[in-house]
Amino acid sequence: MNRKFLALLPLLAFVLICVFLYQGLFANPRELQTGRIGQAMPSFNLPDLMQDDKRWQQTDLEGEVYLLNVWGTWCPTCLAELGYLTQLREQGVKIVGLYYVQSYDSDFDGPFDMDSLRDEVSTMLSRAGDPYQFNILDLERTLALDLGVSGAPETFLVDSSGTILLHHTGDINPRVWRAKFAPIMQELTP
Amino acid sequence: MKYLFIGLVLLFSFSVTAEQDRYVFANDEQAKRFGELTKELRCPKCQNQNIADSDAVVAKDLRDKVIVLVKEGKSKDEVIEYMIDRYGYFVHYEPPVTPATLILWVLPILIVIIGFGFIVIRQRKAAIKQNWNDQDEELLAKLIAQNQRQEQK
Repeated sequence: MNRKFLALLPLLAFVLICVFLYQGLFANPRELQTGRIGQAMPSFNLPDLMQDDKRWQQTDLEGEVYLLNVWGTWCPTCLAELGYLTQLREQGVKIVGLYYVQSYDSDFDGPFDMDSLRDEVSTMLSRAGDPYQFNILDLERTLALDLGVSGAPETFLVDSSGTILLHHTGDINPRVWRAKFAPIMQELTP
Repeated sequence: MKYLFIGLVLLFSFSVTAEQDRYVFANDEQAKRFGELTKELRCPKCQNQNIADSDAVVAKDLRDKVIVLVKEGKSKDEVIEYMIDRYGYFVHYEPPVTPATLILWVLPILIVIIGFGFIVIRQRKAAIKQNWNDQDEELLAKLIAQNQRQEQK
């Protein structure tokens, strides 16, 4: 009996490893845990993307449930999700854009030009849909760093007291919305 | 050819010194801390690189932030804490001991203990089987003698 069990041990170990590795095939390495969930929106004071004299602070956003969507015209996945986000806006979801500038740094992409950026943004939004109440311009990506943003698109769900409830990496589509956002939204707005 | 080579070397060495200006620290200790931190912090975008290796925008932002924090005189642990606050445990290559990661730390020790236990138990069993007394010795001698007689026949 003992002998037989010992002989079966390698097989057992093999099966266990198989199970472990098999489920690893379906794990999503982009699904990151972030440090900011459950915490208050970090404080910031940043300019509006479209208006020179307008500035936004975290206190301006409090009082309503909203999505903070990190995006940029340079990001193809952001373009892909604009249509669905616009549908969500039509359903009454408040979406604020956090414009993630990649070309500000000359290490990465030529010199930065505000006017051509605004042109690009309005062309893209008029073509693909404009889901945003307004856009915050994060030139040096300071707010992005404070939020633990690693790229675009990323979306935060923030409640009316300014607490971050959800941090989603990647695009928002109907499937993601149903699975991740809708349940929390329902609780927040009965 | 030789002069061309020397010229090229000179050309590149100038751009290198220009680039290094950003990484000038008040003392060697800070420079060392910066080097260690950029090797230990993981790029959140390109997941199998540390921020020293990666060219992603976010890795550059994190590097710049590490420079600022180190220059402010923050300790290594304080900088790591700052990054974990924002990017989660993911951003540090050394996983902390939490219930979820406990298995990583315990499993290797457990395997070694089980392995040695196995060896010890086997040896004990073998030792028990080998109790040998005079009677056995006599029996063996008799059997050998018998066998030899049979062969001689």
